[in-house]
Amino acid sequence: MVMQAILVGLVAAFGCFDYQLGTLYAFRPIVLCPLVGIALGDLQTGLAVGASLELLFMGSISIGAYVPPNETVGGVLACAFAISLGQGTEAAIALAMPIAILSQAIGNLLQPIWPLIVDWGEKKAGEGDLRSTRIAHWGIGLWGCLEYFLLCGGAFLLGADAVQGILDWIPSFVLDGFGIAANMLPAMGFAMLGRMILNKESMPFFFLGFLLCSYVGMPVLGVALLAIIIVIEKFNLLGGGMDAQLALEEDDDDF
Amino acid sequence: MTSDVQAPVAGDQYAITKKDLTEMALNDGSLGMEFSWTYYKQMNLAFAVMMGKVLKKVYHDDPEGYAAALGRHAAFFNITVQFAPFVGGIALSMEERIKRGEIEPEAVNDVKAALMGPLSGLGDSIFLATIRVIAAAVGISLMQAGNPFGPIAFLLIYNLPGFWLRIWGAQKGYDLGVNFLEQAQRTGLMAKVMSAAAIIGAMVIGAMTVDMFWAEIPVALSAAEDAATIQDILNEIMPGILGLGAFWAYYWLLSKKINPSYLVLGTMVLGVIGAFFGFLG
Repeated sequence: MVMQAILVGLVAAFGCFDYQLGTLYAFRPIVLCPLVGIALGDLQTGLAVGASLELLFMGSISIGAYVPPNETVGGVLACAFAISLGQGTEAAIALAMPIAILSQAIGNLLQPIWPLIVDWGEKKAGEGDLRSTRIAHWGIGLWGCLEYFLLCGGAFLLGADAVQGILDWIPSFVLDGFGIAANMLPAMGFAMLGRMILNKESMPFFFLGFLLCSYVGMPVLGVALLAIIIVIEKFNLLGGGMDAQLALEEDDDDF
Repeated sequence: MTSDVQAPVAGDQYAITKKDLTEMALNDGSLGMEFSWTYYKQMNLAFAVMMGKVLKKVYHDDPEGYAAALGRHAAFFNITVQFAPFVGGIALSMEERIKRGEIEPEAVNDVKAALMGPLSGLGDSIFLATIRVIAAAVGISLMQAGNPFGPIAFLLIYNLPGFWLRIWGAQKGYDLGVNFLEQAQRTGLMAKVMSAAAIIGAMVIGAMTVDMFWAEIPVALSAAEDAATIQDILNEIMPGILGLGAFWAYYWLLSKKINPSYLVLGTMVLGVIGAFFGFLG
């Protein structure tokens, strides 16, 4: 159990370390849940839970002032509990969002300390001391990884009985209801993304994508590839592409 | 005409090379742009770490100039991470001109600040709203079939364009220098790329509204055992119509500035009520 808790903690810490690897989006349930599955010896459940939770958190990205629930901690812990308690995807879905919202609140607790270190790093940069700036950078990041490790490992170690109790106590229609909500919430995620990119010009293409999938049954990847062709045609990207246009402008500057 | 990325002239070991720029695009500051992210100054430390080595080269004979430059680049910064090396390239070409005394040092942070908004808007549309959604769609469908390559496919599809943009962007930014933004806006390139990303994203999101929405209305229309349900009728008319309705309901609620967290809670309550009375499944 302790060994398992350490592994679960390490998966969460890796999720945090993803921000040093180039924000690969490996901190999302789609990547972390299968890793939890490997750690706890049930890859198949990890894959199924990962797919469901990724959709649940589809719109959970920080745009503007909205700070989304913490999908890393929510995904790792919900998946770990679902596997270790012998529960399926539905339990994971029921657990993920509450845990994610809770851990978002906890994560904000340490934010007030960071300005001191940030200011120190900035001051050192102004003295030409790159080494110290780098230490501040790594210090803040690695502390975050440690937090994730302790939070997820600790919660997994101490929380299993409590979570089992909660799952036993919740009537089954509530779990079913959470499952239904999880089947609806991807639409909210798409709506949030839609708010970013839909305008008069792109709106007809939203419906084109919808109709192709609805009536023709075209898979999403096919729709995406078709969209690329449409864009190439519409903006004449092959004949006189972007570089050529910029180059033309630059030549004009010479006169 | 802006300067080109040049092979180092013989004897000039301090000229910025292609290799320097690629290294900058892939160093621990560039890739770790969000590792030391804080609400306070966001990506300031990582940006300074990214610029450290190339600044040292530019100011090789001027330690005070180097310190001042490094300090400048530890100021507040935020951007879609894949665009950070591009801004780094622009900043580097400006630093060379600052060292030659051609422009004021403050100009570089003004330009960085001016780039944050437009490039983040562009970057979020391309990476978060479009490429990420395509990558997730492919990964999720593989994983639902129990295929362990789902996560790998997701990572590859999402990240290959990003790493290309990092490396290309560092070169291009350095190459075009500060003139880029002005040029891009005058030629309408920025608006064009933005429109293109929006159209691809819109089509993908439209398709996923059908594919990735599974709630149903399993209410039978008569007491007969094989009676048609409301869902059957809806599927006859237009498959995915329920997802479309949900999409626009959420879209409308979000446009009313309702906090997404409340929408999540509201959906869960609706799901529980629907499960209890059996009108949702």
